[in-house]
Amino acid sequence: MNDATLVRKNLFRKKARAILLIISIFIAFLIHGALFAFNAGMSGGFGAVAADRLVTMNRASFTVPMPYAYWGRIQALDGVEAITPLNWVGGYYQEPMNQIQTFAADPESYFIVYPELTVPADQFADALSRRDCAIIGRSVANVQGWEVGQRIPLSSNIWQRDDGTSVWEIDICAIFDAALDNVPTNYALIQYDYFNESLAFGRDSIAWFSLLTGDPDRNDAVAAEIDALFANSPNETRTQTEAAFGESFMAMFGNIALILTLVVGAAFATILMIVGTTMVMAINERIKEVAVMKTLGFPAPRIFRMVLSESILLSLVGGLLGLLAATGLVTLVGAAIADYLPGVHMPLSVALTSLALMLGLGLITGLIPAVTAMRVKIVDALGKS
Amino acid sequence: MTANALYELSNLSKRYTRGREEITIFSDLDMAIPHGDFIAIMGPSGSGKTTLLNLLGGIDAPSSGEVRFEGARIDNLSQAKLSKWRAANAGFIFQFYNLMPTLTAAQNVELPLLLTKLSGKERRKRIATALEIVGIADRAGHRPRQLSGGQQQRVAIARAIVADPKVLLADEPTGDLDRASADETLKTLQLLNSEMGKTIVMVTHDPAAAKYAKRELHLDKGRFVEKEALA
Amino acid sequence: MFKQTLAVTAINLKSIPQRPGMSAATVLSIALVVGVLLGFLAMANGFRATVQGTGADDIAVVMRAGSQAELNSNLMREDERLIAEAPGIARDADGEPIVSAELYVVTDGMRSASQTPANLPLRGVGPRAPELRDGFTITQGRMFEPGAAELLVGENVLAEYEGFALGEPIRLGSNTWTVVGVFSTGGTVFDSELWTDAPVVQSLYQRGNSFQSVRLRLASPEAIEETRAYLDAEPRLNVDVQSERAFFASQAGGTVTLIEYVGWPLAILMAIGALAGAWNTMYSSVDARVREIATLRALGFSGFSAFLGTMVESLLLALLGGIIGAVVTWLLFDGLTASTLGSSFTQIVFAFAVTPGAMIAGVILALIVGLLGGLIPAMRAARVPLLSVHGG
Repeated sequence: MNDATLVRKNLFRKKARAILLIISIFIAFLIHGALFAFNAGMSGGFGAVAADRLVTMNRASFTVPMPYAYWGRIQALDGVEAITPLNWVGGYYQEPMNQIQTFAADPESYFIVYPELTVPADQFADALSRRDCAIIGRSVANVQGWEVGQRIPLSSNIWQRDDGTSVWEIDICAIFDAALDNVPTNYALIQYDYFNESLAFGRDSIAWFSLLTGDPDRNDAVAAEIDALFANSPNETRTQTEAAFGESFMAMFGNIALILTLVVGAAFATILMIVGTTMVMAINERIKEVAVMKTLGFPAPRIFRMVLSESILLSLVGGLLGLLAATGLVTLVGAAIADYLPGVHMPLSVALTSLALMLGLGLITGLIPAVTAMRVKIVDALGKS
Repeated sequence: MTANALYELSNLSKRYTRGREEITIFSDLDMAIPHGDFIAIMGPSGSGKTTLLNLLGGIDAPSSGEVRFEGARIDNLSQAKLSKWRAANAGFIFQFYNLMPTLTAAQNVELPLLLTKLSGKERRKRIATALEIVGIADRAGHRPRQLSGGQQQRVAIARAIVADPKVLLADEPTGDLDRASADETLKTLQLLNSEMGKTIVMVTHDPAAAKYAKRELHLDKGRFVEKEALA
Repeated sequence: MFKQTLAVTAINLKSIPQRPGMSAATVLSIALVVGVLLGFLAMANGFRATVQGTGADDIAVVMRAGSQAELNSNLMREDERLIAEAPGIARDADGEPIVSAELYVVTDGMRSASQTPANLPLRGVGPRAPELRDGFTITQGRMFEPGAAELLVGENVLAEYEGFALGEPIRLGSNTWTVVGVFSTGGTVFDSELWTDAPVVQSLYQRGNSFQSVRLRLASPEAIEETRAYLDAEPRLNVDVQSERAFFASQAGGTVTLIEYVGWPLAILMAIGALAGAWNTMYSSVDARVREIATLRALGFSGFSAFLGTMVESLLLALLGGIIGAVVTWLLFDGLTASTLGSSFTQIVFAFAVTPGAMIAGVILALIVGLLGGLIPAMRAARVPLLSVHGG
């Protein structure tokens, strides 16, 4: 037997009470772990894979097009190592609800700017050689059940062809994969020229450029240079890092971080109150035992540590179970939705925050009882029967 | 003062205030307790018996005067030093046993050993010996709730002696027991005094219990009235 | 029987102050659960009210077939003329059809609270646009002049974004505009828009003479069938027509569902946590009164009255928590404005709405927590052995 035995026995002295407290702590940490892991997964979906990748779009909005001719002008700048243009297609297959996120792209430069994506060399060569070829992401292939060699009528809910229809016949010539799990492959690329030449309106426009600067330290300078190039033109640009664009896009949904913080804050306020008051009461119930321990010669600091250990143990048991459940949940759901939102997992930072919160909760809820126990006056406490 | 006294009390006073009123429990008490003594302190309620025992045990401090143990003052020690002193020198026995309800008999006995640096093996040996001495070895694995009052008090005595203290301080040890259990308990205390040389100070209001001691001290209105024990 | 229960309940309630910390923790934790639930429901209700409240049954929206959102649609000047000839459209005193061809581009504004850029819709409208929004009023200034770079701004824009003060010039993209008026449509999505003359948008944003939608006032809500039949049969047109209410309902549905689907499971999870707290408190309540309950039982009170006494205490604490949660949420959140991404990647400003229905749902959730939390401790109270009267 040692102090740890005493701590454990004291904690589970009233089993029902200990289990109920563990359940409420478990739930708070489950909520914290799961919400913040999903939040990280959603914001991380923009894949900060390449720190030197910038996006240039119309200053007004990424929904407002820019002239295709900007491509050459930006490419000519010194700081731009590689650049690729993209346009929205607004694709769907058969039913408008069955959306296929599709971009009109230049495949050759696209896969230079996105080196984390891989295409088998023979498929890629084939795709470049034919105008009606599409290169689709692995997730699209999984969700739709498509294979290389299939011919698909792809509809657009934005564009019209000059023949009045909105359908482009495409051949699936290649499927691309991502080197990392958190890089999305839930979209398809069709050839810009093939798409553009048949448009009824909005020809020779693009939605945005992705480009590499080769060095994250040059990002700001290159971005400023690009935006200066088009200042005071009818289509001014805004160039920012991919990560900054992702953040601003998420911000448009509202202050999600604030909402999460409020919810998790409410959950933690709940357990702070429940666990805190119960710990105070639990110590008050055994003041006499504390006095006996002191009489036997247990020094006050040791008793302080034992009570504090008890609340930390309680917090760790509930918290670790909650974190474990959150990790399990996030892993399961993350695997199920990987084709739509890849890379949802329990990030180390969330797990570490969770651990810090467990220790904090244990310390805060244990502090008052521990001080009470430490200050117990033997004579007074033993006098009570 | 006797040269081989375990305790020497001089000019000992204890007062406290209740509201505006100052209450004196006793004042200018002098007393010596030699090694190997077995004293029963008797007296009416409120005469200060328990307070005196608390002062001897270093869990209460006098208002003035000195408490010396083996020649060294304990009344002015810090709380931390007193804790150490208690762990090394004093064993306590209470009226309501005060065992830890969550621990088995053996674990209760082991508690004071957590304050020593003894090995696990040595600890187990001491626990077994202590339980043997009080005659409750067969109940080592029971929890207090599963034991009778007399059995609980025996576990409490084993706890008091396991760390081999020089003095046992017992506060009404038979106050909650039936006659038979009380006699068993008192015989055990007598044995610890005669065979193992433990100095015992016992507070009791029961004259039958006091008979087991070597001498009785009557505390009344803050004064001692000494009587030689019959035993 | 009734008297017994009343007596035991009174004893229970009088003992609450002996456990101030735990009872308060139970009340507050239940209040927090209700608060979280109502927060999410207020968000969902507020968003739904804003988006669906915008839709009228006697206004129809015509867009290119299959386009789903205005931003994806494209209509020509000739299309507008053909559409205006359709039957079922309300006409003014002069016999002119009440229609407005509109197009809408996305521009950026600076949110004053967060100092972050956000997308704002700039809508080019026809002169009859105000007649196609119920409750439209100009609250400050005047209407824009046709052909001038003048803006009429929705009142939410004025509240949430920087630089739209009346009379001030404001730069959007490469163009400078003057704010000449502020309008309100009574809290609909249009209050988050900037309006100007349609031809001005067409020319400044190189849209030729294209529009995205034609809004028209129907002679009656039922007249839409007549209009639809005509438009479907017209070979020169490839358009969809739907009532404005149906249009907005389809735009809002996903967001509302999402908010509710996140809010309810969270509230239920938290309710389980609070349940553990309530249970714990009621256990302590029974624990503290074992002797008292046994005494009452010895005096002849029934086990059932002990059960009810504990249940009433639990339910009362829960009810108090539920009411505090509902009232505080209502005070804090009702009417609070927030914005989120609406259709076409632009911001919709909406106000949280803590509805009576949601408040009742919150209090019911609180009572369920109290009921379940009190049940087992109450059963224990009913089974307190009579021997406990001797203490221990």
